[in-house]
Amino acid sequence: MPLRRLVRFASLVALLVLVLTLPAPAQAPKYGGVLRIHPLAAPPSLSPHEESTIATVQPASACYSGLAYFDPAKKQESPETIIPELAEKWSWQDNYRNLVFLLRRDVKWHDGKPFTSKDVKYTFDMVRGAPDAEAKLRVNPRKLWYENVEAIEAPDPHTVVFRLKRPQPSLLLLLASGYSPVYPAHVPVAELKTKCIGTGPYKLKDNRAGEYIELVKNPDYFIKGRPYLDGVKWVVIKDRSTQIAALQAGQLDVGGSGWNKANAETAKKGKAELLVVENDSNVNDNVLVNFKKPPLTDPRVRRAINLALDRKAYLVGPRLGAATFGGAMLPKPAGVWGLPPAEVQKLPGMGDPVKQKAEAKKLLAEAGFTASNPMKLTVSTRALAIYVDTASWMVDQLRQVGIDAVLEQIETGVWHPKMTRLEYQVALNLTGTAVDDPDAMYFENYHCGSQRNFSGYCSEEIDKLMAEQSQTLDRARRLKLVNEIDRKLQADGARPILGWAKQYAVYWPYVKAFPQHENSIYNVTRFQDVWLDK
Amino acid sequence: MRGYIVKRLLIALVTLVGMSVVIFVLLRLAPGNIVDVLFESAGYVDQADKKQLERELGVDRPIVVQYARWVGELAHGDLGKSYRYDMPAWNIIRPRLPVTLELAVLALLFSILFGVPFGVVSAARQNRPIDYALRVVSLAGLSMPSFWLGMVVILLFVRAVGWIPSVTYVSPFDDLKANLWQFVVPAVAVGYRSSALIMRITRSAMLEVLREDYIRTARAKGQRTTAVVWRHALKNAGLPVITLLGIEFAFLIGGLVVTETVFNLPGVARYLVDAIQFRDYPVVQNLTMFIATVVVLANLAVDLVYAWVDPRIKYGQA
Amino acid sequence: MAHVIQTVDVAAAPVAADERRPSAVARFLRKQPLGAIGALLVAMLIATALLADVLATHDPVRTSTSVLVAPGAEFWLGTDNLGRDLYSRVIHGSRVSLVIGIASTMLGAVLGGLIGLVSGYAGGKTDLLAQRVMDIMQALPILVLALVLAAALGPSLPNAIIAISIPIVPRAARLIRASVLAIRELTYVEAARALGVRHVRVALRHILPNTMGPFIVLITAQLGGSILIEAALSFLGLGIPEPYPSWGRMLSIAAAEYAEKAPWLVIWPGLAISLAVFGTNLLGDALRDTLDPRLRGS
Repeated sequence: MPLRRLVRFASLVALLVLVLTLPAPAQAPKYGGVLRIHPLAAPPSLSPHEESTIATVQPASACYSGLAYFDPAKKQESPETIIPELAEKWSWQDNYRNLVFLLRRDVKWHDGKPFTSKDVKYTFDMVRGAPDAEAKLRVNPRKLWYENVEAIEAPDPHTVVFRLKRPQPSLLLLLASGYSPVYPAHVPVAELKTKCIGTGPYKLKDNRAGEYIELVKNPDYFIKGRPYLDGVKWVVIKDRSTQIAALQAGQLDVGGSGWNKANAETAKKGKAELLVVENDSNVNDNVLVNFKKPPLTDPRVRRAINLALDRKAYLVGPRLGAATFGGAMLPKPAGVWGLPPAEVQKLPGMGDPVKQKAEAKKLLAEAGFTASNPMKLTVSTRALAIYVDTASWMVDQLRQVGIDAVLEQIETGVWHPKMTRLEYQVALNLTGTAVDDPDAMYFENYHCGSQRNFSGYCSEEIDKLMAEQSQTLDRARRLKLVNEIDRKLQADGARPILGWAKQYAVYWPYVKAFPQHENSIYNVTRFQDVWLDK
Repeated sequence: MRGYIVKRLLIALVTLVGMSVVIFVLLRLAPGNIVDVLFESAGYVDQADKKQLERELGVDRPIVVQYARWVGELAHGDLGKSYRYDMPAWNIIRPRLPVTLELAVLALLFSILFGVPFGVVSAARQNRPIDYALRVVSLAGLSMPSFWLGMVVILLFVRAVGWIPSVTYVSPFDDLKANLWQFVVPAVAVGYRSSALIMRITRSAMLEVLREDYIRTARAKGQRTTAVVWRHALKNAGLPVITLLGIEFAFLIGGLVVTETVFNLPGVARYLVDAIQFRDYPVVQNLTMFIATVVVLANLAVDLVYAWVDPRIKYGQA
Repeated sequence: MAHVIQTVDVAAAPVAADERRPSAVARFLRKQPLGAIGALLVAMLIATALLADVLATHDPVRTSTSVLVAPGAEFWLGTDNLGRDLYSRVIHGSRVSLVIGIASTMLGAVLGGLIGLVSGYAGGKTDLLAQRVMDIMQALPILVLALVLAAALGPSLPNAIIAISIPIVPRAARLIRASVLAIRELTYVEAARALGVRHVRVALRHILPNTMGPFIVLITAQLGGSILIEAALSFLGLGIPEPYPSWGRMLSIAAAEYAEKAPWLVIWPGLAISLAVFGTNLLGDALRDTLDPRLRGS
């Protein structure tokens, strides 16, 4: 009958439409293969708790686990993208003053010993510098992160409680970063500099200092069915052009750590099949201004310097066309806490360069510096290529407003001591933020007396606001406070931000599920979901 | 003769001691020590922690005490512990030595293989076009920065062939062919310079011999002097070449450093640069002393060869 | 010792009796064509360095937004990753290379010459001690020494000059000492001493002028070497800091990473260094051949 045939026809069409509009079934991941990738630089050690460089976090992340981690598949890190790792569940109690973790029961360390709450307490008592901690770190860069922790309790082998002095919702994010792995209580911490005993998806096979770090699949990984890869090999290649050549020649599967836009384009030009992924990175170039040294004590001088640095030229020159602008916190859409774009456009240095340079000259004249009496300024920076290039650009910009600027290259071992002792005038600095959170960013860099507050900047008002935002539970209100702090920091010229660099991952198309986050580079190299379609 | 050898050995020893002092002092002149660098990678400085660490590593003792300790350890064959990587310095140096050695040997081999024949040809055809051409080519080799040559070569390789030598070291025992492919290009980049020098020396030594009267007489008489001439001339060139190699070794290190960097070879020369930057004193000191010792021994060997050949020295008249 | 070999070209046409003989320079240029080319290159280098401000088209340190532009009408050799004109940087780079080359060579040669003079003339224990110190300096690998010095003293212009001058000292000392030893024994020197002429006068009036020949050869030969060492130091990041453009730093690792996109960044500075050193080497060779053929090959 025609109606029945019509119905049959219609349902066939409907079925066809359904099938065609359904997303193609995802390819089933294949097991096997070794991922060859290069780190930013040779890791100084394999112990994330004792270093502040991505070079260590990159290889070490595959070997360790944290209480929680950021979901590799979600590009923007936020409280919503935190996934469980060693902790199965967690719960905030007493108005965000206690954080209770319920730990997994099936986890073993790479040497076979069982993982318990003792390991968690051991690790974080050590990192926070608790007076009764079992072990002490030789060098402890992130002690400040846990300054709010009053005590850590391990009531039973699978429960840990962090008792805080004040409410701090951000603590969970700090614990989910690549800088917060859990260390084994039964291994002396000094050994962890050169070897790795963790609970992560890969075990350390070979650590050839300065050459490569080889990791192999952990067959007892607590997430069944992972990892897909047989291993990961981090090959240290110092020279950028050699990195590019090695990727093109197929000796590396993934490249891009530390690359800029020109490098990525060069790689792709040589081998069109390569995939290039560009994202924000939460790494910025900033200017350290020595608040305690005249003439930089004069706010007019500080503002003049800030105005002289034309951000648009910075975008084209040092950043080769790829950068984001903002205040102290990474702006939207990649960041969670940044100033609104309309405000960012009005920051010093963002406007018309001719007008801003003229204004800078005027301010300098008011402060007593003219063509016959120019201000002498030494721009210090680290003796590394990426720093020196941007600093040279800076020197040129300052000279264009009549400042007699010269460049001073400071060698690695002397940089931080010099900065800490405030033995500089202005310096070009690079800051990478581990977690896109004001608690991670503000306290370290702007708090009175913080070891990393190299400008010597100190404002009681800001310190109060910082403490307040840390305890604020309402997201919207917290954002307002964070922005208010940002605004003040930019007005004071505490640490003018030149711009936020972008990051690049360049890889062969057979590499699948390679993670990249847009508001941090430190929390993605666990590689538990990466697979090779070979 | 024996007196001469003893004298030379003593001088070599004094030289080595002097060098150890120079290295030791120079390193400590550099601002910042290993503790600063350790804190560097952590990104901050804490004075109390720093003092504690300095005491642990023994870098707060007076310089004379530190020197005495170092020399004492060396006498026992103890190369000390790398400050930076927290493992015995020998563990870091040992896997890197064969790489640099292979590169150095291959580079010298290449330089002799090309330098000597070119020098001979150039001398035989003195002032003819081929002589000028060879002299220009060899001089070009002395004029180019070796790292530039390396960079250009890698660029051309990638552009033309889409292949570069392996970026991870392949041991000759694992895969000889891959290993040779990995080393041939950098060896040429390093050896080009030495080959130019050897060519020039061979050429001038040959020219001296060819100019000698008895050769000219023989030629004027129409005798075929080829075989005798060449053998005599080459022997004459032998000593200067060996002398050159002894002196050149010190220069070679420089070429090795930049070439290992450009070609990503994990050798000691490249690591030396890193170690200096990291103020990893034990490694820098011991590596530099090792290199210096090799150079001094090479020069000593050359002196001894001269002594053996030159009868004036042999019989104690020099 | 070192006296100019007078050559007469027997194949030349007979000249009129009152015609003056061609000057030493003209003879040199004719006999040593390669040396002539070398002299020309060196002259060009010096001229470029002196006239850099006139020859350059842009300010070598001025950055711009024309980044990694190919050679063209506005930027003759293209621009680098900060938009700086490569041609102007190469022109100004000649200044740095020349200044460092000459300064470090002169410093090393004069210092070494003095040591050699004193050591050879005084003899005895002074000589032995000086010899050992020279041995030590010569045995240290130059680059390592320069690296340690750069680390110790910090990367700056005067420090780079000092670091690069060190390897020249032992060589100059050896050379001068050998000359001194030979001349010292000559009769007329003994006569002068017998007449009571003071040591210093003897040294200055009799010995020094005769060592000039090999000394000049040494300086021209070492100039090229100094330029190369400066390039290597800058390549490793330890040479002259910004804003002075230095050929070596232009070739540093940072330039190599843009090499595939902008090969001119790698080609021109390298060519500049090579030509400058090539010129000094050619000149040095020719001078050596002219002044004392017996020194050839030493």
